[in-house]
Amino acid sequence: MRNAKLLGIGHHVPPRIVTNRDLMAVMDTTDEWIQQRTGICERHYSEGWTGAADMGAIAARQALAHAQLTVEQIDCVIFATLSPDVDMPASACLLQDRLGIGGIPAFDVRNQCSGFLYGLAVADKFVKTGLYDHVLLVGAEVHSTGLDLTTRGREVSVIFGDGAGAVVLGPEADSQRGILSTHLHADGQFAEKLWLECPSSRERPRLTEDMIAGPDARTFPKMEGRYVFRHAVTRFPEVIREALDANGLTPEDISLFIPHQANLRISQAVAMSLGLPEERVFNNIQRYGNTTAASIPIALHEALDEGRVRSGDLVCLGAFGAGFTWAAALIRW
Amino acid sequence: MSTALHGLGHYLPTVIERGGVRRPIAVEPIGPSTLAVPAGRGALAQAGLATEAVDFIIFATMTPDVVFPGAGCYFQHQMGCRTVGALDIRAQCAGFVFGLVIADRFIRAAVYEHVLLIGAEVHSSGLDYSADGIRIAALYGDGAGATLLGTGKGTAALRGAAIHTDGRHHQQFWCEYPASRQHPIRVTVDDFRARRHFPAINFDAVRRFGEAALPQVIGEALHAAGTAPEQIDRYIIGHLMPEVAEAVGGHLGIPSSRLNIPSARHGHLTAAALPVALSEDVSNGIVGPGTTVCLAACGAGFAWGAAVVTL
Repeated sequence: MRNAKLLGIGHHVPPRIVTNRDLMAVMDTTDEWIQQRTGICERHYSEGWTGAADMGAIAARQALAHAQLTVEQIDCVIFATLSPDVDMPASACLLQDRLGIGGIPAFDVRNQCSGFLYGLAVADKFVKTGLYDHVLLVGAEVHSTGLDLTTRGREVSVIFGDGAGAVVLGPEADSQRGILSTHLHADGQFAEKLWLECPSSRERPRLTEDMIAGPDARTFPKMEGRYVFRHAVTRFPEVIREALDANGLTPEDISLFIPHQANLRISQAVAMSLGLPEERVFNNIQRYGNTTAASIPIALHEALDEGRVRSGDLVCLGAFGAGFTWAAALIRW
Repeated sequence: MSTALHGLGHYLPTVIERGGVRRPIAVEPIGPSTLAVPAGRGALAQAGLATEAVDFIIFATMTPDVVFPGAGCYFQHQMGCRTVGALDIRAQCAGFVFGLVIADRFIRAAVYEHVLLIGAEVHSSGLDYSADGIRIAALYGDGAGATLLGTGKGTAALRGAAIHTDGRHHQQFWCEYPASRQHPIRVTVDDFRARRHFPAINFDAVRRFGEAALPQVIGEALHAAGTAPEQIDRYIIGHLMPEVAEAVGGHLGIPSSRLNIPSARHGHLTAAALPVALSEDVSNGIVGPGTTVCLAACGAGFAWGAAVVTL
């Protein structure tokens, strides 16, 4: 069985920057509070009718150019998002439309903050087993249209930003290189510690005026931050150790750790627990906030552009988030 | 290494009359994850496996319990599974076939031994049963189907599959709202009052596309499986409109005794249609060990696919 590797990468964030001070104009919060709790200084918000697939298409074209491939050479599209352009069908369908391609399989992965790594696990297996040669994997989110930008929603709303990242996976001839393994987990016991309830197919009916405009703000995300933090700092290192063990490696072997950009404090706690020095951890949440399924490809692209990854390096990708879901992947560059 | 279906299960809520038709409808305030639990238990029982044996969950739905997290997470907890991965996928009516292809690759790559694949939908809570929407609402039902996949034994195997999507047609069969692309807020009271959160369907386009795409993708799956049409003991064709599945059967010369059209009995169950119908056929003794079944579906996206399975 052959290995899969990343042939190309791209990312896009919308031009509009929203600083912590901008948020202070619409809700009772402070720059200091946001930075201290999350590390975030600013994030990007999309405008007009820009959806996840629109930004995803820009990132995808970059990734294809980087891989020196044309859109016609893609065999499959996997789109990870929790903020799809429309309710139905999948954003992968709208991405196909934007790229002007039809006929190849395209579907969404809905695994929240772990969405990119769940998608990577599927794409890896498609390439590894020889089903497809070139898989386009996109992670893209437009969170800004789903946030309660008032004091009521501040705990969640200050964290999230919009953005898109894309990678193209293809075959790797060297069995020691490429994606070494992927590890996926979930624990639905904590589904409602970080969630967006409505529309909810378990309600009768699924959507009401009260859900949209009522005092319970049920069409906005909610989070029990301390709960999420506590589980993140346990599960994150646990799944990374699982990935390392599966490959006979140790934390010392990691050249660069790219965590899902959920919260700078979580990333720092995880790095400390693994004994990773600051220079072997990549963070850019300061400028983008949490872009959920897009955060890992955006961070990986910036790390590559900054020359932080060299041939032969071991790159560790990890994620934890809503579900709870958590995941890790190891890539030998 | 090959993949085989080791167990099937399904669950349909009570049939009630709504909007002039009788459909399985989940009246209790539950989502697809809860409907899927008896289906999942049935699949495990048929496979002779305990819940602990499940290594991975794939949940195909377009009507999740909540916006996020995915129905797979809710299902995992209700089943009492280990903290295994729970992948949520969206490929609309073809979701189950897409899920089969994904499960197959994880098993072939020897990453997981037992994958529990679910297709489940609660459509009824999101449909417009007033005069404005009844034409669409009357076509749907609620239900859940489960399949436990593992490594192939003897002749039992997923022998071939083909999956496709053409997103250029996404507006022919869609539900636009909530729409995260709408700024500054993805769903408003005005959108609600304008009924933009209900599905809209161009029936002519959906019919034409299904009648063309289904025979083609069935042919592809048969080719991939190295199977001749006469070796197929049973066809299960999932489509919103039963008459489209019938036309496809006619076009392919499938005798009605070998054709199972789930939407004709239950209304359209989308991602649940194929696993429910296959599980029913197993329960009714119509198919069983050694028989070869072709499963096919086509719908919103447009997304379509087919698979050939020897049980």
